[in-house]
Amino acid sequence: MRDGETPAGDLLVILRHGSHGTSWLREGLDAALVGAAFGREVALLFMGEGVLGLLEGQGQGALGQKGTGPTLEMLEMYDIEALYVEEQAMARYGLEQRDFLLAARHLDDTAIAELVERHALVLTF
Amino acid sequence: MATTEIYRYLSLDNDVEIALDPEGYLVDLGQWTPDVARALADEEGIALGEAHWEVIEVLRDFHERYEMAPAMRPLVKAVGRALGPDKGRSIHLMRLFPGSPAKVAARLAGLPKPSHCL
Amino acid sequence: MKLHIVNCAPDAGRVVQQALSAMTTDDRLLLIEDGVQGALPSLVDGFSGIEGRLYVLREDLEARGLMSRHDDRVTVVDVDGFVTLTEQAEQTLSWY
Repeated sequence: MRDGETPAGDLLVILRHGSHGTSWLREGLDAALVGAAFGREVALLFMGEGVLGLLEGQGQGALGQKGTGPTLEMLEMYDIEALYVEEQAMARYGLEQRDFLLAARHLDDTAIAELVERHALVLTF
Repeated sequence: MATTEIYRYLSLDNDVEIALDPEGYLVDLGQWTPDVARALADEEGIALGEAHWEVIEVLRDFHERYEMAPAMRPLVKAVGRALGPDKGRSIHLMRLFPGSPAKVAARLAGLPKPSHCL
Repeated sequence: MKLHIVNCAPDAGRVVQQALSAMTTDDRLLLIEDGVQGALPSLVDGFSGIEGRLYVLREDLEARGLMSRHDDRVTVVDVDGFVTLTEQAEQTLSWY
């Protein structure tokens, strides 16, 4: 899907890791929440392995580490509603929109490049 | 975030002692009761009324659902949804919990420190 | 123009592909650390489409014994050149 009509935001956070294996996903979500708490327009892109971070049914870790589900559900309370997911990665992992906890727009490579271009600040996690 | 460091104890009327961290948040969130909220509010010079309690309840619901304490922006939104648009305004929360409403209210409600605000 | 920096080897996952898919037609890409392996003639085709906008850090090539082995289509920059690239870019994105 080409994505020319979404507005330019202040901050784009690119999430490239799933939950639990590393803390990158949580740290990326934290950065997004901080940006939103300070009134920034924040967008999230789930890319590569990061698409797993959108999965429904993620729970606590074996050692009781927090799951990301509650944080994902909280995003709308911070007005973080611009959510994007890499189409190619969805195909790689065999996932469809119905597998996700939140609705995200599917982007091909061209649309991803445009999304990155439209943001003055991009953070990769 | 809640810390496990005990800095001081809050004494309740019934001689129960509640451990607080250096910033005055509960070390054990499970120890919260309305009496704890009253005692913490006393220290802040706040007399808890109906308007305070309904916000405290919104905060406890928020934490129950999202496992975090909200910063100001989501707090305003949550209060607005639960209690109506008149109350979902920062000025209302500033009057009830002067200073830094997100922090003060989270503290009184027995939540961890909001992790996404200054 | 944004400067994208890759520090992972081409074989170390999909980092290179991710960086490439986030690049617009005037963005630049700099290979550092293990990322410099991508400058080998046999691997540089993985960066097709960004000819003229692909850079590699001299110090990291030299440290790996790859200085005389890199493909001519990749522009070698030293640390000063790295700084210049950064200054010329409106923003820097790290892909790790």
